[in-house]
Amino acid sequence: MLTAFTRAFRTPDLRKKLLFTLGIIALFRLGSVLPTPGVHVENLAACFDQARSGETGNIYGMVQLFSGGALLKLSVFALGIMPYITASIILQLLVVVIPRLEALKKEGQAGQTKITQYTRYLTIGLAVLQSTAFIALARTGQLFPNCQQDVLLDPDNIFGIVTMVVIMTAGTSVIMWLGELITDRGVGNGMSILIFTQIVAVFPSELANIFQANKFTFAIVMVVGVFMIAAVVFVEQGQRRIPVQYAKRMVGRRMYGGTSTYIPLKVNQAGIIPVIFASSLLYLPQLITSLFSTSDNMVIQWISQNLATGDTPIYMATFFLLIVFFTYFYVSITFNPAEVADNMKKYGGFIPGIRPGRPTAEYLNFVLTRLTAPGALYLGLISMVPIVALAVAGASQNFPFGGTSILIMVGVGLDTVKQIESQLQQRNYEGFLR
Amino acid sequence: MELGISIALILASLLMILLVLMHKGKGGGLSDMFGGGFSSNFGGSSVVERNLDRLTVITGIIWLVCIVALGLLLRP
Repeated sequence: MLTAFTRAFRTPDLRKKLLFTLGIIALFRLGSVLPTPGVHVENLAACFDQARSGETGNIYGMVQLFSGGALLKLSVFALGIMPYITASIILQLLVVVIPRLEALKKEGQAGQTKITQYTRYLTIGLAVLQSTAFIALARTGQLFPNCQQDVLLDPDNIFGIVTMVVIMTAGTSVIMWLGELITDRGVGNGMSILIFTQIVAVFPSELANIFQANKFTFAIVMVVGVFMIAAVVFVEQGQRRIPVQYAKRMVGRRMYGGTSTYIPLKVNQAGIIPVIFASSLLYLPQLITSLFSTSDNMVIQWISQNLATGDTPIYMATFFLLIVFFTYFYVSITFNPAEVADNMKKYGGFIPGIRPGRPTAEYLNFVLTRLTAPGALYLGLISMVPIVALAVAGASQNFPFGGTSILIMVGVGLDTVKQIESQLQQRNYEGFLR
Repeated sequence: MELGISIALILASLLMILLVLMHKGKGGGLSDMFGGGFSSNFGGSSVVERNLDRLTVITGIIWLVCIVALGLLLRP
């Protein structure tokens, strides 16, 4: 393991890439702690501590997780990667709905580039909306409902507030660019590495909090965490390999094909995305209840009792079902059995024992559906862990070994290590993973 | 002084957004993230992209300096 690391650093181009990535990450963290001009830093810190010790600290859930604590510090990169993720989700869903986008997606590389470009425009639009919303919240004091101090230096100066909104929007675009730079010249996928950074960044302080609160809980959390990481790695690596045989072809005097390979179908083909979809959707009831908190309408009362907090059975059941549904939904979007079968037929490939064309597509569909069932259950169960822990032990929602953060960390970590390994393999054959 | 830096900052921010949007988007959005699918990596950037990079970096530095300066000026 360690020798592989030293070898990675001894390879000149890989060393350059790794250092480049680390440099970008450092810049990114710097922007996440740099306060936006116009924020009253001392008051904000006081309010932040107060919110943290109270129970209202977890309203922002997912957004807070992805911003690595930058959001409530109102830093330059406060919005973090979230606008980009939201934009990607929206476009991903629109591709199913709008025929023009679907046509673009079928075009292949060029169309994909165009969709990415739309995502980038949408990101900026969302960033404007979200930064305006957060500054407005901070201005009226709703960002920290229990805190009386002003978090802005001059809440009535409209020009200063506009400046802040513009800075945060520009910050989001800078984050987008940093992510693309990593994808382009560094190691791994930029956006996921940035999310990874933000999640890992809050880890030590969360752990220290638990350690100070209760030594025994700390030990239990560590043990559970190690087991969960092992389990997640195990399932993420699991795949079904469907053998594919290619027919031999003679073109002129050369012989092509005749190889046998396999289609890898991962147990969890959808990755982390269903969890993100589900939590984004379940964020809506909280939003509704906070908007109409005074109303005594039956429906709203019911929502605020059952769906707004994470420890009711109805909330857990909804969350679980949503994750299962989105897993199937996302797998059906990303993997199209008919297309794969068509491509295989075109290049003279077949699955032994199954005729090419429609039977192959049906077989692939059957295997994938069966394989996704445990995958969806696994995703659901893993993301239930922090909620259950919250209900049972009264641990905080930002439980450091929470399901979503572990899924993201392990997923991104494995992916990045695999990429480094494949680069190492261009020179010699031993890598990190055996 | 404060007003001048604020205006410079707004201009730099807008320029920054524009420059970033002018870059060609790399990576295929969400499906690439979190280990789904595979990304094709065709290296080599054109002269336009390289000049754009240089311009973006310069704007970024100006932007950062303005933020720090304004932050120091506005400190109570």
